[in-house]
Amino acid sequence: MWQWLYKLGSPRYFYDMTTVFLPWLRGVTYFLLIVGLVWGLGFAPPDYQMKDNYRIIYIHVPTALGAMWVYAMMAAMAAMHMIWNLKLADMVAKSCAWVGASYCAVGLVTGSFWGKPTWGVYWIWDAKLTAMLILFFIYIGVIALRSAFDSETSGSKAASVLTLVGVVNLPIIYYAAQWWNTLHQPPSDLGGSATGANPPEIWIPVFFTGFGLIGLVFLLVILRTRNEILWRERRAQWVQDLVQGEPRRA
Amino acid sequence: MPEFQFDSVADFFAMSGYAFYVWMAYGFFFAVMFWNLIQPRLARRKLMKLLRARQVREQNAAPPVRE
Repeated sequence: MWQWLYKLGSPRYFYDMTTVFLPWLRGVTYFLLIVGLVWGLGFAPPDYQMKDNYRIIYIHVPTALGAMWVYAMMAAMAAMHMIWNLKLADMVAKSCAWVGASYCAVGLVTGSFWGKPTWGVYWIWDAKLTAMLILFFIYIGVIALRSAFDSETSGSKAASVLTLVGVVNLPIIYYAAQWWNTLHQPPSDLGGSATGANPPEIWIPVFFTGFGLIGLVFLLVILRTRNEILWRERRAQWVQDLVQGEPRRA
Repeated sequence: MPEFQFDSVADFFAMSGYAFYVWMAYGFFFAVMFWNLIQPRLARRKLMKLLRARQVREQNAAPPVRE
């Protein structure tokens, strides 16, 4: 187990392993997403109050949760990079920032298009919404800080520190709806109680899009990390061989 | 087995009057995820071109080997 983890820390091993693993990940991810989206958009019953408007849930909840979850992953990678100076962890963290920022943007925008018809406004300075917006700015800050340095090493270090400081925001987002009684509702009860709970026909597709979008996180982070590996290891013989073996494109 | 909830395709696109909000949300979602998937592909293509050009340059720069 430890030996395997140690090997996985080598960029070349990571690259070779993901080459084998990628088609499977891609297949499972696309399958889950297509089933979840078709089911959610067309086959789940309409909500008795929000009618078909609630169908935004199938992308809103998974992307918003995903944005927080990617941040946690990025922070773990930043910590590994700081403690053990693990290069691969830093490359993964760099990829996470972009993927997380995109998920965060989708969570915010889909929420806004849900807020208008249900709350009457696209945006309000509700505790949860504000904390989510701050998360988005932290992502952008991490990306900008990294690119602000000429030296790759200094940029990595600065980005890691900012990432770890930003972790405080995660519990604030998650518990915002419970701590402050503002507009955004707390997470729904999944059928534990008989009153007011949503029926399974409505929430089962959320699991499909949810796991699909988690799969997509891994897929996107791996694809970005592979490019980063090729760039940073460009002087290594194995990358040189790989470049020669690659079919030419106009 | 769940049933299709709409009477017609037009009914499906109308989303019981919430078409604008539902399709704007989904449209943004698809646009962002499409970019997310296409970006690494374009970046890889660009990177390969750059690395190949480097290789060619280095080969030309090296002194010719005499046999």
